[in-house]
Amino acid sequence: MIARVIGALLLAAVALPAARPAAGTTPQAPTTDLPESTFLSRIRRLTVEGRRAGEGYWSSDGRKLVFQSEREPGNPFYQIYVLDFTTGETKRISPGYGKTTCAFFRPGSDQILFSSTHLDPRSRELQAEELAFRESGQERRYAWDYDPMMDIFVYSESTGELTRLTTEEGYDAEASYSPDGEWIVFSSTRNAYNRELSAEERKLLEVDPAYFGDLFIMRADGSDVRQLTDEPGYDGGPFFMQNGDIVWRRFDESGLIADVWTMKPDGSNKRRITDFGAMSWAPYEHPSGEYFFFSSNKYGFENFEIFIVDARGEKEPVRVTTSPGFDGLPVPSPDGRRLAFTSTRGGGSGSAGQIFLADWNHEAALAALAAAPPRVPHSQKQ
Amino acid sequence: MRPLRWTSGLLAGAFALAATAAAAQTATVDLLERTRTHVETLASEAFQGRLTGSEGERLAAAYLVDELTRIGAKPLPGADGYTSPFSFTAGVRDGGSTLQLVREGGTPATFSAPDDVVALSFSDNGEVSGSLVFAGYGIVANVTPTEVYDSYAGLDVEDKIVVVLQYFPEDMDQDRRAALARYSGLRYKAQAARQRGAAGLIIVTGPRSPNAGQTVPMSFDSAIAGSGIVAASVSGRVADAIFEAAGRSLEEVQEGFDKGDPHAQGFEIPGLTVTLAADVQRERRTAHNVLAYLPATEPVDGVAKPWVVIGAHYDHLGAGEIGSSLAGAEDRNRIHYGADDNASGTAAVLAMAEALADEPRRRRHVLIAFWSGEELGLLGSSAFVSEPPVPIDQMAAYLNFDMVGRVSDNRLTVQATGTSDVWPRLLEQANVLAGFDLVLNEDPYQPTDVSSFNGAGVPSLTFFTGAHAEYHRPTDTPDLINYEGIVRVSELATTVVRRLMQADEPPQFVKVERTVETGGRAGLRIFTGTIPDYAAEAEGMLLGGVVGGGPADKAGLQKGDVIVEIAGQSIANIYDYTYALDLLKIGEPVKVVYMRDGERRETTLTPEARR
Repeated sequence: MIARVIGALLLAAVALPAARPAAGTTPQAPTTDLPESTFLSRIRRLTVEGRRAGEGYWSSDGRKLVFQSEREPGNPFYQIYVLDFTTGETKRISPGYGKTTCAFFRPGSDQILFSSTHLDPRSRELQAEELAFRESGQERRYAWDYDPMMDIFVYSESTGELTRLTTEEGYDAEASYSPDGEWIVFSSTRNAYNRELSAEERKLLEVDPAYFGDLFIMRADGSDVRQLTDEPGYDGGPFFMQNGDIVWRRFDESGLIADVWTMKPDGSNKRRITDFGAMSWAPYEHPSGEYFFFSSNKYGFENFEIFIVDARGEKEPVRVTTSPGFDGLPVPSPDGRRLAFTSTRGGGSGSAGQIFLADWNHEAALAALAAAPPRVPHSQKQ
Repeated sequence: MRPLRWTSGLLAGAFALAATAAAAQTATVDLLERTRTHVETLASEAFQGRLTGSEGERLAAAYLVDELTRIGAKPLPGADGYTSPFSFTAGVRDGGSTLQLVREGGTPATFSAPDDVVALSFSDNGEVSGSLVFAGYGIVANVTPTEVYDSYAGLDVEDKIVVVLQYFPEDMDQDRRAALARYSGLRYKAQAARQRGAAGLIIVTGPRSPNAGQTVPMSFDSAIAGSGIVAASVSGRVADAIFEAAGRSLEEVQEGFDKGDPHAQGFEIPGLTVTLAADVQRERRTAHNVLAYLPATEPVDGVAKPWVVIGAHYDHLGAGEIGSSLAGAEDRNRIHYGADDNASGTAAVLAMAEALADEPRRRRHVLIAFWSGEELGLLGSSAFVSEPPVPIDQMAAYLNFDMVGRVSDNRLTVQATGTSDVWPRLLEQANVLAGFDLVLNEDPYQPTDVSSFNGAGVPSLTFFTGAHAEYHRPTDTPDLINYEGIVRVSELATTVVRRLMQADEPPQFVKVERTVETGGRAGLRIFTGTIPDYAAEAEGMLLGGVVGGGPADKAGLQKGDVIVEIAGQSIANIYDYTYALDLLKIGEPVKVVYMRDGERRETTLTPEARR
């Protein structure tokens, strides 16, 4: 885990230790939760190598998965790998040095985008520093640093060529393609770097750079950049839906509460899908268009579980996973029959999080959503 | 923007996969039936539980030789045939040990085996004579970084015969008991006595201990090496005679030690001379490993470490003659079929041999090994690595299969992954196709043949599908085997072997430090009836099952429960649990906290004596 958002979790836990979200005070799951096996079967650990792995996204034919993993010798940070389900082979597609995150296959093409800091001349120095820190036996919470050197690149699987798409200072990442492969939506903190900040803003940038995260859209070649959100608080993790709209998660100003939202690709018609009073993030649409997956710490501050919610957000979300620890970043296969997700359930060498794969019961999901009660605004739940 | 239909683009892939599956279907069915035949044959009545060195072992070896011949595997270079004999200690019995007590001016009293004196199985043979010194529990251990518990403090035992209590003080605080328990094994006690110059050692099971007044049964599992001292256990009758001479009540003396009374000290027993004659009869027999190889298909000149080894032990417990049988009294003498342990692993290796024999290109030789003597202490694999038919430094890797017949919940455990950095990558690749929910464990110090190869510096793995209630019992039968699971395990491992065969560079060996002291534990006196799931790396100890009618069963515990606390000790892993067992007292109920379906629950468990 997991750039597309986990930094916010850290921020909440580290920067504001006294403030606990309302969700943390109601850790009891309702007794009506269905067992995990209702929705998931043949659950299996997919990634094994390396300290942690996450953010697995499918190619449009469902035969490959691109993901990030800390497995490059000499580099403690994520690099990007493509796993081929037909051969079992895994290949690194990122430069091997620096930090990378958030890869995505471009539909109808041999291209894969991801974000990387490898052009930062300090990349190798930072790797050595991090390795020395780990060697020292000291520990700190896992934290995503929103490195302002992070830019979006696109890699061609046929030529191996890497092309830079963004050049602004600031963290440009969490990018994904539109279904026709012509547009990229992404999150960026560039607005914290392209102007004079007030003293208060400078302090905020120090403790919570993600606060400045907003959504942008651009063409697949990096041109025609337009800003889609400008609210205070972290907007990130955007993905296109089958109908061309965008689903993403929006943090409130405190950085503790996040919910799932949708909008048109021009930024209009913003609509709140969840009102769950917790950190609800990493939304991804099921290919049927009937519902969204997301993960939330509704039942315990560090106990993230995967949920589904109907496409219009008219009902209460339905819980999918019931395992202790982290379950998140759910991404369905293009045929909607399998689910890749990131979990700490492997324990031991997998306790920092690895990618799991399970068969997904779409019919059970539809039935559970049909039976879910109407959505209750969080403010009225108190 | 153009909406994408959610089924588009997938059909090509789906069809391709379906076609592959259909083509593989026929072969898979054959393999499945053949695997079933292997297990049903090896675990049949006729093979009598395949006890090392027995007729059943010989029959099983003959079956394996036939299969290897059919598959086309060859005897190892320079070998006459497929079987490779080694000798071992097949049994140990007391050949007539005696103990004579002579009081000054009194009549000698003579005691003898088997009722009143039984040599310890690792005792030297011989006769010693001398005066007696009682040394409490006979333990020397650091209980805290600054506090040493020394049963010998202030005692001179040079050339004397030491009398000590079995086990460890029963009533001390838990931390101290835990520390002492680790050094309370009889081998530790013998070593402590010998190092202080004692001529002999007498073990008494005190009146306040489990199995009070009984001699210690000889177990040939531990009879391999001598301890450099003459040592025997004695009955309560002998103990009473000794303590009567000292004018002390053994029960009172023991109580003082149990409570950690600082005034409880060892003492000389005046006016008494003892002569101890120990006679340990060890029976040597011959057992057989079965070894073969699939030669590389091209010259191996220039190939680094041109051997890949795959193996499984094929021996089991016979009719429970071995101490490690867990059969209840009612089926003590029944055949232990060992379908999972380890007809399953044997079948997996045969399936791999068959698949690899068809491999068009093998850059390395594949050595196929079926071990005997595993249940007696990894004897077959130890004999192999100590006199290897192929130089150890020519072996690229060893893959071991022990209990792979009980796949459930799609889970497969692979242990010893710490022995090389290549394992996680190879396993990840192979498992993309096999689709197991893999659980990895780096620790190579496992109670199976992988330990022998790790000890010899060979990068190793061992495959395991979990413990169960039938483990080491006559009920480990073929009808409970998941045959498809065995085939899947063999396919995953075959993928790994293919890559090892083709790789330019052999795996680099990584030495994993041993984290847990497993020797000398005394926990075996306690029976809780829990069956740990050794695969689990969950917080706590996951139960793979419970022994029917045992204490855990009576306490309402069941498979899938995770014990997180017992007797006030928090349990983070299986090692904590085995450690905590030393703290339990027979017949004394303890609170057990466990997780079931994510919910924290409590129960009370009453440990029983293991016998």
